[in-house]
Amino acid sequence: MTSQQASPVGRNMRSRLKVIRLRGISFRANLWVLTLVCASLAVALLLSAWALTLGSFSLPIREVVRALIGSGSDQARFIVMDLRLPRIMAAVLIGAMLSMSGAIFQGVVRNPLVAPDMIGINAGASLSAVIWIVGEHPSELLPIAAFAGALMAAGAIYLLTWRGNIAGARLILVGIGVNAMLGAATTILLVRSEIHDASRIVLWMTGSVYGSDWNDVRVLAFALAVLAPVGVVLMWYLRVLQLGDLTAGSLGMPVERVRLALIIVGCGLSGVAVSIAGPIGFVALMVPHVARMLAGPMTSGVFVLTALLGSILLLGSDMIGQHALPVGLPAGVITAALGAPYFLFLLYRTQTRV
Amino acid sequence: MIEHVSAQPSSIRWRSAGLFGTALLLWAVALLSLRVGSIDISTADAWNALFHYSADSYEQTVVRYFRLPRTVIGLGVGAALAVAGAAMQATTRNPLAGPSILGVNSGAAFGVVMAVYYWQITHPIHFVWFAFAGGLAASALVFVLGSAGPGGVSPVKLALAGAIVSSLLSAWLTALLLLDQQTLDIVRFWLAGSLAGRDLSVFFAVLPFIALGVAGLLLLSHQLNVLSLGDDTARALGMRTGAVRALVAALTVITVGASVAAAGPIGFVGLAVPHMVRSLVGPDYRWILPYCVFAGPVLLLSADIIGRVIARPAEVQVGIVTAFIGAPFLIGLARRRRVADL
Amino acid sequence: MSRLASTDLSLSYGRSTNVVHTVNLEIPDGAVTSIIGPNGCGKSTLLRALARLMAPASGTVILDGQAIHQYPTKEVAKRLGLLLQQPVAPDAIVVEDLVSRGRYPHQSFLQSPNERDRLAVERAMALAGVTDLRNRPVDELSGGQRQRVWIAMVLAQESPILLLDEPTTYLDVAHQHEVLTLIRRLNKEEGRTVLMVLHDINHAAWSSDYVVAMKDGSLVAQGPPDEVLRPDLLEHVFGVPCDVVRAVNTTMPLCLARGRCLKRKEPATNGSKDIKPRIGHEPPVMQTAAIRTEALCTGYGQRRVIDGVTVAFPEGKVSAIVGPNASGKSTLLRSIARLLPVTAGMVMLHELPIGESPRRAFARKLGMLAQGPSAPPGMVVEDLVAAGRFPYQTWYRQWSRDDERAVERAMEATGVSELRCRLVETLSGGQRQRVWLAMALAQETPVLLLDEPTTFLDIAHQMEVLDLVREINERDGVTVVMVLHDLCQACRYADHVVVMKDGHVAASGPPQHVFSPELLRDVFGVDSILVPDPVNDMPLVLPLADFNPGRVRAPRPNGAPGDRARSSRA
Repeated sequence: MTSQQASPVGRNMRSRLKVIRLRGISFRANLWVLTLVCASLAVALLLSAWALTLGSFSLPIREVVRALIGSGSDQARFIVMDLRLPRIMAAVLIGAMLSMSGAIFQGVVRNPLVAPDMIGINAGASLSAVIWIVGEHPSELLPIAAFAGALMAAGAIYLLTWRGNIAGARLILVGIGVNAMLGAATTILLVRSEIHDASRIVLWMTGSVYGSDWNDVRVLAFALAVLAPVGVVLMWYLRVLQLGDLTAGSLGMPVERVRLALIIVGCGLSGVAVSIAGPIGFVALMVPHVARMLAGPMTSGVFVLTALLGSILLLGSDMIGQHALPVGLPAGVITAALGAPYFLFLLYRTQTRV
Repeated sequence: MIEHVSAQPSSIRWRSAGLFGTALLLWAVALLSLRVGSIDISTADAWNALFHYSADSYEQTVVRYFRLPRTVIGLGVGAALAVAGAAMQATTRNPLAGPSILGVNSGAAFGVVMAVYYWQITHPIHFVWFAFAGGLAASALVFVLGSAGPGGVSPVKLALAGAIVSSLLSAWLTALLLLDQQTLDIVRFWLAGSLAGRDLSVFFAVLPFIALGVAGLLLLSHQLNVLSLGDDTARALGMRTGAVRALVAALTVITVGASVAAAGPIGFVGLAVPHMVRSLVGPDYRWILPYCVFAGPVLLLSADIIGRVIARPAEVQVGIVTAFIGAPFLIGLARRRRVADL
Repeated sequence: MSRLASTDLSLSYGRSTNVVHTVNLEIPDGAVTSIIGPNGCGKSTLLRALARLMAPASGTVILDGQAIHQYPTKEVAKRLGLLLQQPVAPDAIVVEDLVSRGRYPHQSFLQSPNERDRLAVERAMALAGVTDLRNRPVDELSGGQRQRVWIAMVLAQESPILLLDEPTTYLDVAHQHEVLTLIRRLNKEEGRTVLMVLHDINHAAWSSDYVVAMKDGSLVAQGPPDEVLRPDLLEHVFGVPCDVVRAVNTTMPLCLARGRCLKRKEPATNGSKDIKPRIGHEPPVMQTAAIRTEALCTGYGQRRVIDGVTVAFPEGKVSAIVGPNASGKSTLLRSIARLLPVTAGMVMLHELPIGESPRRAFARKLGMLAQGPSAPPGMVVEDLVAAGRFPYQTWYRQWSRDDERAVERAMEATGVSELRCRLVETLSGGQRQRVWLAMALAQETPVLLLDEPTTFLDIAHQMEVLDLVREINERDGVTVVMVLHDLCQACRYADHVVVMKDGHVAASGPPQHVFSPELLRDVFGVDSILVPDPVNDMPLVLPLADFNPGRVRAPRPNGAPGDRARSSRA
């Protein structure tokens, strides 16, 4: 395979790199990635603005802006600030967190088909949440319960995978096993619960940003503010880790410690997101692929792009589910319906790389 | 068929004895399955219910109309899932392949939910044909998707297509269930996978398919042996791998489709049983498949019995119990093997 | 008349351009024929087509006078057995079971194995010498044994024609001989026609009656080995100057590619006929050691692979570690690079224990290139090379001037500057290995460890890499320690050789002092002679094996005893 063709990413790479140096600080910025990041940021903002105008009570954009700066009518302020904005922000934040967590796990495991929903982290959150629902506990604390479940699942997976090191293939297998077990436990509760609880469970398990309030947004924003910068820095390590444990080790990287850090950040991102919105499928799996296809291999810049694309996808899905269909559907159903065909398309494109 | 070329007669004898032992074990488990449950029944009553049935005896009626159907369904489904799982692992050369990889389970589930939602079918007995049709349609879709595109069919593409079709169908299924609480109430028991609540007509409806599939796969065991050496080697030995693979896949889909139709999606039997058997008798499919015929039902019926007694008088669905038995097994497998082999 | 032939055969994968162009080939009956050629010349593809594993784009393969696609598949398999490269056996399968699966073409759908099958399996196992292993699981066998088991499986097919795809690759010297001897015997005693694709020209030279040379999908030459394996022709085929060394007391030639940076003959020794030490003029005493181990023990988990190794690698020299498969070569390298915990003993880098400096600081002193490294898909050459700067960087200082300079220099030195924007996965094997070397160079360490840098490459690419290693060593004074598979390459390119066996060091020192027929027999279990290198009089190892005693070869006119080995260069 000595074909002379370089991918478009490869060919134009050189002209797109810009070096930034400032005393001890130095970066190499990829202008193409930067452009994409700016573009998707703009799209995300426009989409959010549009989403603010949509609803059973449609508001013109002028009203929305006025409501945002606090000078609109009380009614408009209530609709925008208390009903629409929290939901939109939750969608944006959750989309970003899920897709970042997907990018991290795909990198750590060196397998493009892994997502936190596959290896039991979401199942842990689900089980814990379902126990909470069935036990008639106060629903304000549901996110905390779900997050605890995600953490416990992640811990169990890590301990079960550990045999002197964390091998990617083993992590997947153990994750599938843990996922199945937690899923079975959830099913027991689903089957044995009252039908009223059962439909709440199913609703929660589909994943939805419906009914998010400012409390949720605060939790999400805090988690994102803490974890995302760590993730961006870790991506720089991941670039080397992806060359294989031996190469990374001989370049002086503490391989297992970096991997543990990545797993913690990945679990944290997906755990918090799932705890608020339930297990929304496909975002974590799909968005990193899209980002890589647009911008090349995962770097810190592409990681940010991934987050923005995740926001766009989830916000878009939520808007479709809420406004475009005759019956309101949760965002999780829409992401799956959008994601599966896309993934099949991807399957055609990549010949045997998977 | 079940004859080994080995010049070592002791190994044949040992394996035959093991096969006989497994059959005996199955017999014992089947008897236990007739006896144990919300009420315990004596062996004599169980025996009489089968051969000298008198409608006056409450115990015999329980055996005849409740325990017998679920036991025979368990026998058929257990054998079907285990044999199909072994065949899938041989053709994909992937130790993780199970029958559900082809999307049969989720297709069947989707078929059932559609039936309940659109045609208001409420009784599990009538689910059979919808589940069967759904499973067949889904796996046909998986095959089309897995073989289209550049490079033709490959096990990896097939697995991927299966996973994706499964998740798409389950998303739609969730959407349907969200829209309609009544449907959810009817199907949620079926979705967990259970042997309970079926009568013998269900068994007889799926029996021809299971028998056809299992018998066909047993006949193909020599081909599976060669196929497990890898596609190229098999072709170099003069096998038309495409044809054999298609035949195996068709038989697998029929077998699994029928068993899902009868019992709902039951995970891990098809994955775990072939591995257990393989660790006992080695990689020869002429032994693995017959062992699976007996060992599959042993596991499934045991799980069913456990589900009956563990929360008496209520029941835990067998699909849940097999997941609890099978998942630790999978984790153990992952921990034991060298990572390169996975 | 030959039973297997091809006429105007062209082959392609998918709709892309042809991999093999209009090949007309007749495989001589009852002889051993080898196909040689550089990586990607289409030799394996041709073999697959001859075995009917792929359909020709045009032209036909003719088996016994009929187009091969007109036969039923099993009929082809009865006449023609194919052993693929690196077949993978199912887990835990025992030898006899695997061999008996080769009977498939002779069995009908429902037929159970009969007496004939049993006899064929027994015979195949006896021929391949694996009868004693019959109940052993295949995955527990050594590489050579495993290869013989697979050959036995093909033999059970009882086909008169055998096609083998690189049967000797991945094996060490002893196992290579094991396999070549078996193939030769099958031909001689059974009269089977053998066609094999070989990676190593010497194996073709030693074991075959006919050699077919391919380049870019076309046949370049065919004929008896002496006719085909000429320096000019080899240079044409592989694109690298080659020497064909003829030793005095054997008919077996030794074909060697000649790199640019071969260690040159010392002017003082010019014209002398005996083998002289090369390292300076001082006696072979170790100068300062860059790396020293003392009673080093290490292994994986419970398994101890290295057991009490005390060895030193000289500063500023190129050292090679050689030894049979599983003798602990890579393990030694990894424990020196701190990638494996040391169980006992110590490793000193420049007389300092390696455990003492922090990881990053250590990575600035010593770099290592692992065996067969793989880059994630979508990675560009320049990014890969830049990854070598990791030990100098922090996340907020990602691209200092030093980094830029080092990366440019490394790419310059390895000649990959013009590939900088290519995706790593689109490069050829040799290019890819050069890129990885550039990554290790960008690390700018005074000591560089390389684990089998030439494996999987064809000779031209091997020379490319080895030349580069010597250049780095000579220009920058980098101490290089590399694991090598090929003894002749170790002789030609290393100043210092460490021979390992079973986790111990069997010998170490300059190649001319270390290599002796006794040592080679002891370590590799192969008889051999040392032949002086035509270029610099260093010893070259020529294994002596009874591959082809019956081969008729014209007596060499200049083959008088005492005459230096000739290198014929046309």
